[in-house]
Amino acid sequence: MKVLIIEDEAALNKSMVDYLSSQQYLCESAIDYRSALDKIEQYAYDCIVLDLMLPGGNGMNLLKELKASNKMDGVIIISARNELQDKIDGLQEGADDYLTKPFHLSELSVRIAAIIRRKNMQGSNAISFEEITLDNAAKTVKVNNVEVLLTRKEYDLLLYFIVNKNRVISKNAMASHLWGDDMDMAENYDFIYAHIKNLRKKLLAAGAGDYLHSIYGMGYKFSVK
Amino acid sequence: MKLFAQYNRLNIFATVVIFLVGSCTFYVLLRYILIRQMDTSLQSEQQEIVQYVHLHHTLPEIINTREQRESFVIDTASKYTCEFFNSIEAGTGKEYRDIRFSIAVGADNYIIVVSKPMDSTQLLLKLIIGVTVVMIALILVAGIFINRRILNGLWKPFYETVNQVKDYNVTTQQAISLPVTQTDEFALLNQSLGVMIERVQNDYESLKRFTGHAAHEIQTPLAVIRTQLDMLMQQENLLQRYAPGISEIEQAVQRLSRLNQSLLLLTKVENRQFVLDEDVHIERIIADKCTELTEIMQVKHIALSLTVAPFTVHFHKHLAEIVVSNLINNAIRYNRPSGLVNIVLENGILSISNTSSLPFLDQDHVFQRFYRHADVKTEGNGLGLSIVKQICDFAGFRASYHYLDDMHIFMVDFNTRTSL
Repeated sequence: MKVLIIEDEAALNKSMVDYLSSQQYLCESAIDYRSALDKIEQYAYDCIVLDLMLPGGNGMNLLKELKASNKMDGVIIISARNELQDKIDGLQEGADDYLTKPFHLSELSVRIAAIIRRKNMQGSNAISFEEITLDNAAKTVKVNNVEVLLTRKEYDLLLYFIVNKNRVISKNAMASHLWGDDMDMAENYDFIYAHIKNLRKKLLAAGAGDYLHSIYGMGYKFSVK
Repeated sequence: MKLFAQYNRLNIFATVVIFLVGSCTFYVLLRYILIRQMDTSLQSEQQEIVQYVHLHHTLPEIINTREQRESFVIDTASKYTCEFFNSIEAGTGKEYRDIRFSIAVGADNYIIVVSKPMDSTQLLLKLIIGVTVVMIALILVAGIFINRRILNGLWKPFYETVNQVKDYNVTTQQAISLPVTQTDEFALLNQSLGVMIERVQNDYESLKRFTGHAAHEIQTPLAVIRTQLDMLMQQENLLQRYAPGISEIEQAVQRLSRLNQSLLLLTKVENRQFVLDEDVHIERIIADKCTELTEIMQVKHIALSLTVAPFTVHFHKHLAEIVVSNLINNAIRYNRPSGLVNIVLENGILSISNTSSLPFLDQDHVFQRFYRHADVKTEGNGLGLSIVKQICDFAGFRASYHYLDDMHIFMVDFNTRTSL
């Protein structure tokens, strides 16, 4: 899976590349309009992470270029501007998603995964981790081919964990993922704990391995280990 | 009162006064001249009589006509050389001009009075009054006509300009087209307005760019911090020592980011960067928000009562969501465990009331930025209510706070449109 990261802030660009590379994505980065345009014209990507304010040009024009050349690349806009109009414009120009800075890398990763799944319609909509299989179209989960009934939130959490497998995810990032950034964090931690407890219980009961590890003082990690 | 009407009123007043004074002066002058003429003719009468007496040594026969009356009286006591005076005939009230002089005929001394009626001066007076009245009437009528003509014609560009300026809205960025006019004053007005509007537009644009840039300049470093933290926490050996610290930093980043977003929102509302052109179903927004918060209310054992009648208002959907969500969030955040939240939407008045461990709040300060009751410990950023207030002020709705029966009540009246 090839991903192009277009972001002029070097530190931000690098951390995105590092995080996504560790998840079997092949990442390339561009830090200005010119080099981004070159890369877009020459190669095809599964997903492009696009910052709107770039030295040398507006990210929106890159979107137009992509559209004009009929490229199938998925695009997720990352912008510092939390403007409704920007979102509408971006999505109208053919972007698949819009993420406002500051975001969690786990959130970015789950959004990229969703875009790639949507783009690869020939592939199945299934995501699997060991004996757990998620059918993203039907929103169902099977453990060893036996369906497990999960609530919507639990399903969301499981998908989020599997996409970000082997990574430590903070409670804060999970709360933002499930309830958005507007909610108070401290209060949400209790829910997160309740949801995770239920999810783990259901998975274990269905015969899955215990993959959910709690990281003290921080959050959780979904891994075989 | 219209400028021209004021000008006209003064003008007509002055003209009428000048006309009256002029007419009086004219009358006095003419009368003076006429009397002088009469006096001359009376003097020639006197000379005729003196000559007649000189020739015939007797007084002439008195022939009174309409034009002239004479009277001879013997009086030895008084002597007049020549004296003019006015007299009024007792019966008819006619005014006469008289000359009185003494003459000696033989041994007798006669006092002779010759009178001539002043018909012509009275006629003159009547004429002058008539002409004056007609002139004043003409001035008034002309004034009204000129007024109407000027207001309809000459002032037209002015009213067009005024209408354009009235409809002008800086947020819509439409160019204003001021009418072309031949009148120098209006051309100057339009030109100055044009310059002013351009400046306002530029200021507004730069302000808008500023909020955009401010967001970028603050949110981007925050994004760097957050993503670096995400990377840092993958180092599990580090986590064992620094997990609480990293978690704290993460929360601080979140708070900072939310604070920044809230301040930007406030600035944008203050700058009126939203166009209120959507029909918003308030009841739907309330329903969505309540569904979203069911879980948190269950955990806190808060009972929700909803009495919502559909209400649609011309507003901005995103702003409406912020208003509703800030109020409901507050009602939950500052509630006590096993408390109550009542949401009522009736006749376009939204009232959200909640129980709380807090006593009643200061009505004057509750909507102020960063206002917190001294007992509040939770981490709300202190901007929620001031955002609600600002949005309501901008949209012309009335937001208010009351404390009744241990309930904190926040009300928004979507009916009132005071500003705009």
